[in-house]
Amino acid sequence: MKAILAIAGVEVRRFLRDRSNIFFVFIFPLLLILLLGTQFGSSRAETRVALAGGSGTALQTVVTEQLEADGMQVESGTPQVVREQLGRGRADVGLLISIEAAAAFNDGRQADLEILTASQASAQAALQEVRGSLQAISMRHSQLAALERAGMPAEAAAAALAQAREAVQAPRVDILDTDNTAQEFRGLGVFDLGAVQQLLLFIFLSSLTGAATLIQARRYGVISRTMAAPVSSGQTIAGQAVGRFGIASVQGAYILVGTALLFGVDWGNIWLTALVLMAFSAVAAAGAMIIGSLLDHDGAATGIGIGAGLVLAGLGGCMVPPEFFAGPLQSISWLTPHRWAYDALAAIQRRDASITDILPALGVLAAMAATLLVSGAWLLRRSLQRAL
Amino acid sequence: MRALWTMVGNDFRQRLRDKSVLIFSLIVPLALMGVLSLAFGRLGTGSVDLQPATVVASVEDSGPLGAALLDSLGSIEAMEVTVREVPADAVSSETRSTGAALGIVIPADFSSALASGQPSTLQLIEGSGSVLETSVLISIVTGIVDQFTAASVTEAAARLGGVPPDAAAGIGRTAVAGEPILYITEGIAPAGQLSLRAGLVAGQTGLFLLFTVGFGVLGLLAEKEQGTLGRIRSTAVPQWTIIAAKAVVGFSLGVAASAVLLASGTLLFGVDFGSPAVVGLLVLGAAAAATSLTFIVAKVVRTAEQANVAQSIVAMVLGIAGGAFFPIQASGFMAVLMDLNPVGAFIRGLGISAGGGGVGEIAVPLMTMWGFAVVCVLVSRFLPDRGASS
Repeated sequence: MKAILAIAGVEVRRFLRDRSNIFFVFIFPLLLILLLGTQFGSSRAETRVALAGGSGTALQTVVTEQLEADGMQVESGTPQVVREQLGRGRADVGLLISIEAAAAFNDGRQADLEILTASQASAQAALQEVRGSLQAISMRHSQLAALERAGMPAEAAAAALAQAREAVQAPRVDILDTDNTAQEFRGLGVFDLGAVQQLLLFIFLSSLTGAATLIQARRYGVISRTMAAPVSSGQTIAGQAVGRFGIASVQGAYILVGTALLFGVDWGNIWLTALVLMAFSAVAAAGAMIIGSLLDHDGAATGIGIGAGLVLAGLGGCMVPPEFFAGPLQSISWLTPHRWAYDALAAIQRRDASITDILPALGVLAAMAATLLVSGAWLLRRSLQRAL
Repeated sequence: MRALWTMVGNDFRQRLRDKSVLIFSLIVPLALMGVLSLAFGRLGTGSVDLQPATVVASVEDSGPLGAALLDSLGSIEAMEVTVREVPADAVSSETRSTGAALGIVIPADFSSALASGQPSTLQLIEGSGSVLETSVLISIVTGIVDQFTAASVTEAAARLGGVPPDAAAGIGRTAVAGEPILYITEGIAPAGQLSLRAGLVAGQTGLFLLFTVGFGVLGLLAEKEQGTLGRIRSTAVPQWTIIAAKAVVGFSLGVAASAVLLASGTLLFGVDFGSPAVVGLLVLGAAAAATSLTFIVAKVVRTAEQANVAQSIVAMVLGIAGGAFFPIQASGFMAVLMDLNPVGAFIRGLGISAGGGGVGEIAVPLMTMWGFAVVCVLVSRFLPDRGASS
């Protein structure tokens, strides 16, 4: 055991001493969590409306106020800027107010507004939102006009309308989500989802790309020299695996603590989270052993490591939440360790899951780790017998 | 010149034998495009047209408003909606099992509650199909309910103003039936943005171009470490040809890999980037920007390993900030900063090209990429060569 820990300790120290690891292992994951949080973190993305024309007019004021009151983000610019913003996807809907429209609105006549949508499918939902806001403005105007036509003075009509709005209860619209997707993310903090995804992505990615160091250890004769000492091949292999496991765990713990302190990420029960993290790190370490033993070129190992790390993360729900996956991809995602770990962490974070709830996921991760470790050990033993 | 081409030929052979070039420049980006394209599902296609949708409804309301609500849904201009009526207790299960976009349960007291201003609850059940059509339908239903409420509010206001109840009801109806003060003409802005799926193909191509081009400079540092660089320098070969050979190799590998990736994206993912000539110009610009960046990396690092890490950091930061994985929303100074990013400019240029833009329209992205290249080359001229001192 002493020999195993000594080999593992060397591996971890070598990793931590390499300054080039600082960025990808410690800085980049946190930067990405920050970026994802600011881009997608809010529970509901704001619709962005680019408004042009009618500056300082009553129409522009009333439209802007209504859009903002309905939770939309309004930016003003020239018609050319609005078109460019839409074309580049920096706004969802554009609204062009002509001088004639502003004048017509002032005179109580119908005002023609040009509404432009971005070329994205999602802009249709934003368009509907903007239409709703404009409809609300028209509705208020129609209500006042109808009351005035009935003989009520303008001020009295406005006061009566305000009073009636207080008195009349609008029907409540309850929205139920049959596949519970919306409920899944309800109550999550801005950075919570991204933190889980990036934690898993980077632990696996760093471990797999670290397979190159195993090849270097083979190439430079480190492993041969280790085995020249009274250390068995089993101890050498176990030491390498424990080393990789230690690196994955150190990175995992760092992201866990870092995101909790810097971004206020709520991980739920920290002990259960740590348990999932350890099981996942074991799979990642075993995966690195496989790549490091199968390949003899460290450049190729890095390429395979990055490729496999990103593809598995994508399939396992670390780029797009698996809750949004279509049927076949849902099934495929269960073949990745990321999906099992994601589900376990999500259960702990969102539903206060107990150890019994996450036991199946832990079992699958442990089985994956054991299978990969045995295969990796066998492959490494074989790799030691061939020349590099 | 002969020496240059000899070195280029030799480097090409080495790079092609090296599996990492193939892995980084083709296999990994294609695999990522495939996985992310699957993960994004229909949202990735960027289709503007809303798909036909089914609404499963139960109307227990004995008044006119429940039926009016369903009628309104059946006559929406934006999308084709089929309304299927079922008993109230079957709406949820039918919505789930039939893949309908939305389920609606209109309660028995809907009309009477609205007329008297009493509370009532309309239940909407989200379907498991496309989120897009469902959210549009929810907005439409909410809008219709708002109209009904407005009629009721106007009627109440009229009564408060002393209008007799019979006449007040008429005022409420005319308030919502008249011509709106704001009339809307709809149009679609000229497309300068790629669909999510096309953006993925363009983004991954731009991102991995930075990795691929880096193999040129990695070769230089590897030769330094292996001692072959010293041997080349000891010959009568002009010094500039050594760097030029690596730059030509990196640039050519980048152009070739990008062309293959964009062509594969077009074939495998059904995306269209427009005129091949315009796309070709953009690829040349992006490859030039990426190659120029490697001159800086080559100056500041001492070993091939350091170069590998530096190249990866630069590629990932520029790639993600440029929108290689998802479009980054920014405004103000951040937007200007991102416009200067060669990966962002490459994706933007492809967006313009995909929207039918010609060489004139891509002038800004092209100038951005070539400007980036010139600045990087100039900066690299003034940087001390750390590698040479090692």
